[in-house]
Amino acid sequence: MSRRLSWLPWLVIVLVALALPLYLDAQWLKAGQYMMIGAVGAIGLTLLSGQAGQLSLAHGFFLLVGATSYTVLSGDEEGLVGLGLDPLLSLVGAVAISALAGMAFAPVAGRVRGIYLGVASLSLVFLGLYLGQEAETLTGGTSTGRAPATFELFGFPFSNEGELVIAGVPIRGTERLWYLFLALLALSYWLARGAVRSRVGRSWRAVRDNEAAAAAMGVDVRRTKASVFAVSSGYAGLAGVMIVLWFDILKPDESEYGTYGINTSIAFLAMVIIGGLGSVTGAVIGALVVFGLPQVLTLYSTNLGWFTGSVTPVLVSSFVYGAAIVLVVLFEPGGLAAIGRRIRELRS
Amino acid sequence: MSELVLENVTLRFGGLLALDNVSFSVAPGSLHALIGPNGAGKSSCFNVISGLYRPTSGAVRLGDKNLLQLRPHQVARLGIGRAFQNTALSQHSTVLDNVLLGRHALTKGGFIACGLRLTRREEQRHATRAKEICDFLGITAMVDQPLGALPYGVAKRVDIARALAVEPSLLLLDEPAAGMNTEETADLAGTIGQIRTDLGIAILLVEHDMDLVMGIADQVTVLDFGRVIADGTPTEVQTNADVIKAYLGVSA
Amino acid sequence: MTTFLQLMLNGLGKGAVFALLALGFVVIFKATEVVNFAHGSIVLFGGYIVLVTKDTIGWAGGAFLGILTAGVLALAVERLLLARSRHADPFSLALLTIGIDVIITEEIVRRLGVTVPFIGDAWDAKPIQLGGVTLFRTHLVALLVATVLITAFFFALRYTNWGIAMRAQAENREAAALVGIRSSRVTATVWLMAGLLAGIAVLFIATQDFSGAGLSRGTHSIALAAFPAAIIGGLDSTVGAIVGGITVGLVDALSTHYISFAFAKSAIFLVMLVVLIARPAGLFGTRETTRV
Repeated sequence: MSRRLSWLPWLVIVLVALALPLYLDAQWLKAGQYMMIGAVGAIGLTLLSGQAGQLSLAHGFFLLVGATSYTVLSGDEEGLVGLGLDPLLSLVGAVAISALAGMAFAPVAGRVRGIYLGVASLSLVFLGLYLGQEAETLTGGTSTGRAPATFELFGFPFSNEGELVIAGVPIRGTERLWYLFLALLALSYWLARGAVRSRVGRSWRAVRDNEAAAAAMGVDVRRTKASVFAVSSGYAGLAGVMIVLWFDILKPDESEYGTYGINTSIAFLAMVIIGGLGSVTGAVIGALVVFGLPQVLTLYSTNLGWFTGSVTPVLVSSFVYGAAIVLVVLFEPGGLAAIGRRIRELRS
Repeated sequence: MSELVLENVTLRFGGLLALDNVSFSVAPGSLHALIGPNGAGKSSCFNVISGLYRPTSGAVRLGDKNLLQLRPHQVARLGIGRAFQNTALSQHSTVLDNVLLGRHALTKGGFIACGLRLTRREEQRHATRAKEICDFLGITAMVDQPLGALPYGVAKRVDIARALAVEPSLLLLDEPAAGMNTEETADLAGTIGQIRTDLGIAILLVEHDMDLVMGIADQVTVLDFGRVIADGTPTEVQTNADVIKAYLGVSA
Repeated sequence: MTTFLQLMLNGLGKGAVFALLALGFVVIFKATEVVNFAHGSIVLFGGYIVLVTKDTIGWAGGAFLGILTAGVLALAVERLLLARSRHADPFSLALLTIGIDVIITEEIVRRLGVTVPFIGDAWDAKPIQLGGVTLFRTHLVALLVATVLITAFFFALRYTNWGIAMRAQAENREAAALVGIRSSRVTATVWLMAGLLAGIAVLFIATQDFSGAGLSRGTHSIALAAFPAAIIGGLDSTVGAIVGGITVGLVDALSTHYISFAFAKSAIFLVMLVVLIARPAGLFGTRETTRV
């Protein structure tokens, strides 16, 4: 494919994505939204663990931070802490708070490396579990949870309120959320790609490959680690905001297996490994697989009557991504990104 | 241009005395070699200068700046470039990408700025300069190839190019000729000499290859068991009895 | 006072079990530098075998089979998957064990379904009263078994050929290979050993006395405590594993009682975090020095 037309596939993807709400049912749109949430989170993790080489199993925690921050910043209910801020401001605020939380953990990365760092980061998930349960005035507690404020953009509500029709199709809450998520994903993707190809990405890779050499080239290793943790946690926080809008409720987990638990952290790691550590596009595809499979299988099961008994869509998906991790490590550690590169080389 | 001065530098690792009262200086624009048997403390010296190790006692100055107060990346920003014994390059990145890392201190921009592509134009400028440096080192042809696919000799040149990209006034070369044959070494000697003459950069060179060192160095410091046992011109050092005993062998 | 004594005894009993888990974890790390994320799933597997066989061949038979199969599973994982990885760096292998953990855990949890059975029939819920203190038989037996096994282990490590080979490989893999120590054999035996220890540990974990919870996903979570236990002690120190295990047991018992059950889980990991920051190598581990 000639260089001049390399943007063509992207254009097609964007046009299709923009048109889908006009053709798909709400349940399919919701499945797609869930995949987009995964994609945003996965991009953040691939930058942290893939580009900068800082293994993290704390992604679930930062999702919780983002989710809780948005709900608290924008919320306004009796008996609960809420600042009643504008939703857009709350979203930005939630991302910022998550980024700060990430920066606060970064010094641990200065003391501990490699797999040890991954294990250390597990402690954050447990911290989140505890805080989520205890800080009931913030989170609403594990039994009832708390409803997040409807997202609004300059007064335009992303709910079923108000009339909006495009090409004869009513654009209600689910459709509007689709476009919002699409915009957030596009922005996340674009920023990440720009960073990877530039000075920032270079400094991350330098820290990953050899800290002493990086320092000898003028890279402030401490600061670089702090900034990549901030960026990654910011992405996770954004995914957290999206998740709370998707569920339409903030509900902290009761055990370390839940929406914000270890299983979530591992799922994101799976996305990044499958896609290829460090590859932004790979992360998105990994998310489509890991978060998409359970959604799609659930939809098929209700429509086709599959999955009765103990074999559930979630189980099958877990099997698939567990097996995918094993296969990737055994046969192609570079993941899908490496496979993609091989195909391109064979063609040229 | 400043002089690099090491004064009474002592470095201990628990019970091991890696450097024992080491003093020498590198004059601006000169080619200074640091030689000695394996384990003599040459790499430790480099690591102290780069700020990776903190000496137990002693002083290290570049001009009037005390290097011991600085963190490694700050030492680099002062204009000290370094090429490593085991190259320490990113195997998966291209040659250009590796060399561009050296421009880090000369550029600005964090995640947002780079994500928004605000640094594009500046990056182009630096890429041009990086290519000039690669040209100087004879590796222009491989500029877009991934490092992992290239031979060792080329990788060593990339390492030097990266160190030069820092625009240093002092270049630390850690065994650049290691693993090279006679022809490659002669080539390298020429390049190093050119760096000194054309670019006016002072060079502190750690090497085992005596022909390379004696042929191009202005000044030689010999270390043995962490101590300086000789410091002078190549000829002076070659005829020094202590040095012959410790290192060069009778046939020098 | 009796409460505190009670808590200490509980803590020691639990600590003994965590020590067994941590020991298995540490021997794998010592011999191969791989952090085994699949440990919890092997614990579950052993417990599951006990569950499905104890009604037919009696508890003792089931327990024996559970321990044995857990060991074999661990061995199989090492021989069939880890040993076959082309790009065998410890980091990638650790990621591999994450994938294995997901697969095995999900399958066992699926088979367990909604049942949450206790499998420590021989000693569960049979407390002994001594003075004003209630001694849980489970904890006592665990302490006894752990003491015997750990003593045997240290004896083997010091005086048998296997022990010497293991220490040599842990010290310097290449050198050990050069003097004729077959690393594949050492690696296989440490995984087997870790699996056996996991199979033994589950007999105590999935009891009323220990956790109040039967064999379930919760068992996997409890087994996760092997991480902080091993790290607090020092990932490459077998003595550290014991100390770490006991520490975790005590922290767990004390924080459950004095603060809350929910906090206890975080408490263990927070202690681990503090130790990691203060002494990255753990209390008894050796510091890593990298050559530049």
